[in-house]
Amino acid sequence: MKKSLSLLLCLALVATMTAGCSGSSTSSDNSDVIKVGVFEPLTGANASGGELELEGVQLANQLHPEVLGKKVELVVADNKSDKAEATTAAARLIEKDKVCAILGSWGSSLSMAAGDIVKSNKIPAIALSATNPQVTLGNDYYFRVCFLDPFQGTVMANYAYKTLGAKKVAIVQEVSNDYSVGLAKFFTDAFTKLSGDASAIVSTGNYNTGDQDFNGILTNIKATNPDVIFAPGNYTESALLIKQARALGITCPIIGGDTWETNEFITVGGADVEGAVMSTFFDDTNPPTEAGKTFVAEYKKLYPDRQNVPAVTALGYDGYMMLMDAIERAGSADPQAIRDALATTTNFEGATGVITINANGDAEKNSAIVKVVKDGKFTYLDTVTITQ
Amino acid sequence: MKNTQNSLGAYLKKHWKTVVFLVLVLIGIGIADQFVNSFMRRLLNLSAIYTIVALSMNLVNGFTGQFSLGQAGFMAIGAYTVAIFTVPVGLRSTIFYLAPMAPLLANIQLPFVVALILGGFLSAGVAFLIGSPCLRLRGDYLAIATLGFSEIIRIIFTNTQTITNGALGIKSIPTISSLWWTFGIALIVIIACFLLINSSYGRAFKSVREDEIAAEAMGVSLFKTKMTSFLISAFFTGIGGGLYAALLGTVDPKQFYFTLTYNFLLIIVLGGMGSISGTIIASFVVTLGQEALRFLDEPMAFGLDLPIFRPGLRMVVFSFLLMVVVLFYRKGLMGTNELTWNFIANKYRSIKSRFTKKAASAQGGDSK
Repeated sequence: MKKSLSLLLCLALVATMTAGCSGSSTSSDNSDVIKVGVFEPLTGANASGGELELEGVQLANQLHPEVLGKKVELVVADNKSDKAEATTAAARLIEKDKVCAILGSWGSSLSMAAGDIVKSNKIPAIALSATNPQVTLGNDYYFRVCFLDPFQGTVMANYAYKTLGAKKVAIVQEVSNDYSVGLAKFFTDAFTKLSGDASAIVSTGNYNTGDQDFNGILTNIKATNPDVIFAPGNYTESALLIKQARALGITCPIIGGDTWETNEFITVGGADVEGAVMSTFFDDTNPPTEAGKTFVAEYKKLYPDRQNVPAVTALGYDGYMMLMDAIERAGSADPQAIRDALATTTNFEGATGVITINANGDAEKNSAIVKVVKDGKFTYLDTVTITQ
Repeated sequence: MKNTQNSLGAYLKKHWKTVVFLVLVLIGIGIADQFVNSFMRRLLNLSAIYTIVALSMNLVNGFTGQFSLGQAGFMAIGAYTVAIFTVPVGLRSTIFYLAPMAPLLANIQLPFVVALILGGFLSAGVAFLIGSPCLRLRGDYLAIATLGFSEIIRIIFTNTQTITNGALGIKSIPTISSLWWTFGIALIVIIACFLLINSSYGRAFKSVREDEIAAEAMGVSLFKTKMTSFLISAFFTGIGGGLYAALLGTVDPKQFYFTLTYNFLLIIVLGGMGSISGTIIASFVVTLGQEALRFLDEPMAFGLDLPIFRPGLRMVVFSFLLMVVVLFYRKGLMGTNELTWNFIANKYRSIKSRFTKKAASAQGGDSK
C-alpha cells in the first residue's frame, strides 16, 4: 500500500514536471510578443529588495505594455539570492524563454554571476540598483540605471566636508558587505582629496553582517573624537550602531548610504536615528523629471497605503523604460540591435533623473539626493551635484 | 605478463556490463557536449559538481559515520585557489580596485588544472589541521568543530582583502563550459570512491561506522582511518569547489555560508547515507528537480491564474516532495545499497514475481 502510494506520488511528480516543460516551450514561439526577462531574488536573504525592484518593473510594464506594436511580456525568474541559482536563472531566461533582454538583479554579486552568461550569449542586460563598478566593467552587454559606489562615496564626502564642515571623520564599515566596503573606500579617497589632509580619516572600524554589539568599535571612535561618522551598511546593524553610539555619548552626525532608507531603520533606531543623513537615488516628494512625477502618481494609485516610494522601485521603472526606449530606437527586438541602442542612450528622461549611458555602460548621473531622518520620516534635505 | 593479461581478460569478462555501461556514459557525455544548449549544459555541470562534493561528503558522513559539516569551507578553499591563481594577471588591478593584490601573488598565474589540484591539496592540508585534534573526539564534536571551521574560513576570506579581495569577491575567472571537465572529474571521483570503498580501507571505514569499539578491537586504528577518509573527502571537495568557481566565473565569501553544506547534506540523506549510486542519483534529482519545478513560480502554471503560483512556490513543493521521500524511504532512495547489476536484476525479479503472484491469485480467484 505504502509502496504503491509512493509510486503514485512519483508519477504525479513526473507528470507535473513534463506538464511544466511542455507548457513553457509552446508559448515561446509566439512572435507577436517581445519577451523581457527579469531575474531577481524573490526568495532568500535579499527577497525584499528583489520584490521592490520587480514592482517597479511591473508598474512600468502595466503603463507601457506595448513597443513596436507588439506586446511586451515579462518573464520573471527567481534567483533565490544564490549565485549558482542566478547563473541558471539567467541561462534559463536566455535559452528556454528566449528573452531579448534581461533586467536585474538586486545585489551586485548576483548580477556579476550572470555577467558572463549575458556576455557570451550576446543578450543585453540592465542592472537596476547594483552599484558595484565591476558589474559593467569589461562587459559590453551589461548596463545600469543607478549611480555607482564611487559616486555615492564622493557625494557623502562632499556633504560631510562642505555642508557639515567636518575635518576629521571616522568610518565604520560592514566588512562582509561589498557595498559597504566599496562605499567606505571611495568616501575615504574623496574626503582625503577634498580636505587635503592624509590623516583626515581618524579611524576605521569593521563589523560583520549580523553583529549586535558595536561598543568596542565605538569606544575606539569616541577616543579619536571625530566630527562625523560615516557608517554605510545594512539598515538593522546601522540602526543598532547609531543607538549604541548615542548611548555612549557620541553626539556627532552619523551619515550613511542608500541602504538605510527602509522603514526598519527607523523602527529599530527609534528616536536615536533622528538626524541621520543618507544619500539615495530618488526623492518621491520632489521628483526630478516629468517622468518621475508620473511614476510617483501611478505608484501611489497602485499602492495607496504605502508611505513612501522606494528608490529601487523607481530604478526598476527606469530600467524597463530605458529598455523600451532602446527597442523603439533599434526598431527591432534583436538583442544585438537593442544592445547597440542601449549603448547610445543619451538624455533619456527617467523617473530618477536624466540618464546618459557612458562607454562603460553606466548611467552618467551627476546628482544624488541627500535625505535626513526627521520626526521618524525620511525627509528631503539636499541635492548634491558633483562636477567631475 | 601472461598472468596480468589473463586477469584483465577475466576482469573484463566478469564486468563486461559495467564496462559497456561506462563506454555508453562516455559516448552520452560526448553527444550531450555537442548538442545540449547552454542552459542544460549549466545544469548538467552543476549536477556533476554537486555529485563530486556530495560524494566526498558521503565518504565521511555515510561510509565512515563521522558527522562532518565542513563542506562549504573546503569548497571555499578550492574555489578561491582557482580564482586567485587563474584570473589573468592583466585584469587583476581592475578586480582588486579597493586594495591591490598582495605582490607575492599578483603575478602568479597557473593553468586551470594545476590550480584545481593545488586547491584540492590545500583543502586537504587544512583538513589535516582541523582533523588532528577533532577526529580524536567522538560524537557530535566533529560536526560542531567543522561547522565552526567553515564559518571561520569564510570570515578569514572576507578579511584578507589583499588576497581574496574581501567581500567584493573575484570575478572574471576563466570559465569552463565543456561537460568533460565536470563529468570527467566526477567519473574519476566516482570510480575512486568505488574502488576505495571496496578496498581494505573501505572496509575499515565501514567498521568504524558500525562500531568503533569493535573496530578498534579488531586492530583498526580509529584515528588513522577517520583521518584518511576525512583527507580524501576534503581533497575531492576542494576540487569540486574549484570547478564550482570556474563554472560560475565569480566567487565571493557569501556563497560559502554554512547553508551551502546543507545542500549536500540534503543530497546524501536523500540518496542514502552510504550509497555511491544514491548520491549520484540524488545530486541530479535535486539540481534538475528544482529547475524543473520552476514553472510553479510562474503566474499561469497549468493555465490557471491562481494567486498561490508566485515565486517561492517551487521551494514549498520541493520541500514537500522531500518530506514524502523521507517518509517512504527512511534510509534515502538507495539506503546503503548500490545500483549494481545484481540489485537491478533482483528488483526486476521481485517486481515480476509480485505481478505473477497477483496474476496467479487473480486467476485462482476466477477459477473458484
